[in-house]
Amino acid sequence: MSNTFVDAYPKQARIIRQAFLTSFIALAIGAFFGLIQALHRTNILRAIESPTYYTVLTGHGVFLVITFTIFFLVGVYQWAVTESLERGPVDMRFTWGWYGLMLTGTMLAAFAILAGFTDAIDVSADVLFTFYAPLQGHPIFYIGLVVFVVGTWLAGADWFRTWLAWKGENPGKRIPLPTFMVLTTMIMWYISSIGVAVAILAFILPWSIGIVESINPTLTRTLFWYFGHPVVYFWLLPAYLMWYILLPKLSGGRLFSDPLARVVFILFILLSTPVGIHHQYLDPGIAEGFKYIAMTNTMFLLLPSLLTAFTVVASMEHGARQRGGKGYFGWLKALPWREPAFTGMALAGMVFAFGGFTGIVNAGMNINYLVHNSLWVPGHIHTQVGTAVALTFMAGSYWLIPQLTGNRLVGRGIALFQVVLWFVGIVIMTNAMYRGGLIGMPRRTAEPEYEGFNYEVAAGSVGELNAQVALGGTLLFVSTMIFLALMILTLFNGESEPIDNRTIPAPLSGPEDSPPVLDNLKLWVAIAAVLVVLAYVIPLASIVSRGGLFGPDIGPFPVFVEPVSLLIETVLVSIGW
Amino acid sequence: MRLSWPQLLIVIALLIVILVELRTVLAFFEIHLSVTATAVLAVVVIGALVLWTVLSSADRSE
Repeated sequence: MSNTFVDAYPKQARIIRQAFLTSFIALAIGAFFGLIQALHRTNILRAIESPTYYTVLTGHGVFLVITFTIFFLVGVYQWAVTESLERGPVDMRFTWGWYGLMLTGTMLAAFAILAGFTDAIDVSADVLFTFYAPLQGHPIFYIGLVVFVVGTWLAGADWFRTWLAWKGENPGKRIPLPTFMVLTTMIMWYISSIGVAVAILAFILPWSIGIVESINPTLTRTLFWYFGHPVVYFWLLPAYLMWYILLPKLSGGRLFSDPLARVVFILFILLSTPVGIHHQYLDPGIAEGFKYIAMTNTMFLLLPSLLTAFTVVASMEHGARQRGGKGYFGWLKALPWREPAFTGMALAGMVFAFGGFTGIVNAGMNINYLVHNSLWVPGHIHTQVGTAVALTFMAGSYWLIPQLTGNRLVGRGIALFQVVLWFVGIVIMTNAMYRGGLIGMPRRTAEPEYEGFNYEVAAGSVGELNAQVALGGTLLFVSTMIFLALMILTLFNGESEPIDNRTIPAPLSGPEDSPPVLDNLKLWVAIAAVLVVLAYVIPLASIVSRGGLFGPDIGPFPVFVEPVSLLIETVLVSIGW
Repeated sequence: MRLSWPQLLIVIALLIVILVELRTVLAFFEIHLSVTATAVLAVVVIGALVLWTVLSSADRSE
């Protein structure tokens, strides 16, 4: 008898399918834009004018790292909460409400971006994903982002509400691990997204509408990066959830340690936010000491990633040995490599290690100067969100979509080829990006090599680097199209057998092996708040005292921000600034 | 067959990745492999792997 998620929770499966559908549409558009960029930058095919490149670049960034990832996140988190609490939301109308808000926000932002392709409408937002000043987009873009973020906040509120209802029915029970992961992710998101909300609502939106004449770029950049680094973990933590929950099951075993997984997610609450200044090592106006603190905090963030690597690999080894694997390395052969869901996630985890190492370079204050704003950085982000996250989401979909539709996955062999193709494509492309970055090739430009200037390439030539970027980008695009084709075919597949059982086996070491304090979410929120205050209050106060809230010689306006201004002034006076 | 087809596919992918990265690493030690030399090396290594897998399969069937 069929035992899929859609059999047990048809209403919840419907909204998750809807979220995934939105996510995959964004993936298709974003991937197409990525291909255009890869071919344009490398001068292989220039189908657009160079000024239009920045519209494409903005679309590529926003549709992939905001729309694709976060719609997938809300889908997979809705699945995780429903499955682990064994109940649906308190009110499904509220659930559809936040989905509707996110969709409305997406449509508004997408309209502002895509309108940049035509002169017929006086709307554009070629501000890139990192939309800080002095680049200014149309107000519709910022309003769209705000509506979208409010939608995610309400999604989190919905999951907290569901958990509280469950808690009332199950007094004294530990929070099930998948729900724990969802709640901790959302706490991190609430803390960090305040930065971008303030940046947009108090400064950038009034500036783009024309209510205020100027802006303090350092302040808005700092507020952006207050959110801009933790948002990386907002993309990554659903991938972590799938590595912790699905990968051990797919390996044929059980999660090695539930307590370690909880510790990892708590560490992300504590450490994700007080690190954003490491994106601003080259920004004037922030004292070196604060940058040093941000670097130290960032290095601590390696800990949860290393704990994850240990726990997930240990779980995979346990699964392989359950399947008859033997020896120090011989167990690797016993893993289910023919399963695209498993193989894709395992390869994504491997690439994540590359991204971790290059992330250490980004985070180191002195070495960062070598690669800052160079092509190295897109290389890093493509190994992280572009593979650790995106490939995990695609691979996970090969397991989740049959659960959500009741339809057997179409083309398992082709799916395996698709995830392997992504792995090869990303390594070919990012290898060239890293090498290009090391010779100072800039990012975010349609013209990476000026006329009459030649890079001194340490290995190979610029032509080879360009060829690698174009080849890798093309392989990634082909891989994405294969994935989407398989998803469409699966959606319309009439066959329902065989589909994996949806049961997630209990961990080897369960929550009973950990102290209950791990589930004290209020405690972790309080500590996180203290760390954020320590890392940010003085730098922000310094930036405001030097440049003013709205830039030099511009008084605070509109009046509703005056109390904030007065408060900051009072703090500055009291600490002797 | 020493490796199943999925395992063979993944090992080939890993070899491609290792060759791409190894070329970069070697360049930092002043050992420069041209694209052609790297491609030839890849064909030889992957060809040897495929032969090893298929021939061992043939041996067993005999």
